[in-house]
Amino acid sequence: MGPVSARLTASSPAAPAWRATAAPAEAEAPAAAEEVATQRPWVTIVWNDPVNLMSYVTYVFQSYFGYSRAKAEELMHDVHEAGRAVVSTGSLEEMERDVEAMHGFGLWATFSHDT
Amino acid sequence: MARRFRRTRRGITAGLEPEEAGLLADLLAEVAQMLRSQEAATGPSDEVASDAEEDPLAALARDLEGGDGRVPDDPALARLLPPGSRDDDEAAADFRRFAQRGIAARKRSALERAVATLRRPAPLLLDDDEARAWLTALTDVRLVLAQRLGLETDDDAALVALRAAQAAEDDPAAHAAALYDFLTWLQEGLADVLLRDLPAGGGPARR
Repeated sequence: MGPVSARLTASSPAAPAWRATAAPAEAEAPAAAEEVATQRPWVTIVWNDPVNLMSYVTYVFQSYFGYSRAKAEELMHDVHEAGRAVVSTGSLEEMERDVEAMHGFGLWATFSHDT
Repeated sequence: MARRFRRTRRGITAGLEPEEAGLLADLLAEVAQMLRSQEAATGPSDEVASDAEEDPLAALARDLEGGDGRVPDDPALARLLPPGSRDDDEAAADFRRFAQRGIAARKRSALERAVATLRRPAPLLLDDDEARAWLTALTDVRLVLAQRLGLETDDDAALVALRAAQAAEDDPAAHAAALYDFLTWLQEGLADVLLRDLPAGGGPARR
């Protein structure tokens, strides 16, 4: 590793705006779950990388999200084998917080619309 | 040769040779310095960067100007501070603006904390907070080394391990590969120790 320069490129302006789509209003009982899903249309995705260790990724999912070992390992395998996994769902603000935490752990995570 | 991280009654320890401890401290400090440069370069040019001394109003003004939303030029730093969105450039820029400085500062703090534990008299003995700082600090050093080694796929990782195993004295790339391999081995041990502490059935989230 040599000395490192930190020259910066210009940033792009303007914050994004997003609108929650309206929930379908027809059905009654089964709509409850759908309504929650529509109100919380964002996900946090963790992407595979060749550096982060399987045990470490499991540790991050368990310690940060409070997931069981089984769930954390399942997500870790999804990341490793499928190249990505949805690790949490919620509002944009919640997903930004989760992505920020994942970056803090050195995992590459992004937030996205749950489409 | 170092011994793996393990938990003892007094704390978490790894039997590092003095030269290994010195090398680790240098690497950790170097990545901390990269992040510090990023933080300094992100602020206004006429200002000495210091989290503690910064005028909150100046910080607010800079945040409003979007001064923190810049993509690091160094690809290794860009990996430490990746985009928050792949499908929405504006959202990614917005995320950088409000989150990047904090992420960089927390990473630097963990790296510096790990360096500080290596400055204490041997043997290395960590409490749980220090061990967690070490774990993320080792990740960040490995991410930087991996970028320098051109390690981009899982197959590359296998090649680096192979190259490390065949390391020749006079091959600088093989030396870097061996270093990466050593850090991987060290982190694996520490991750195993900390993973064992977590309840298998799940526990309270830290989010």
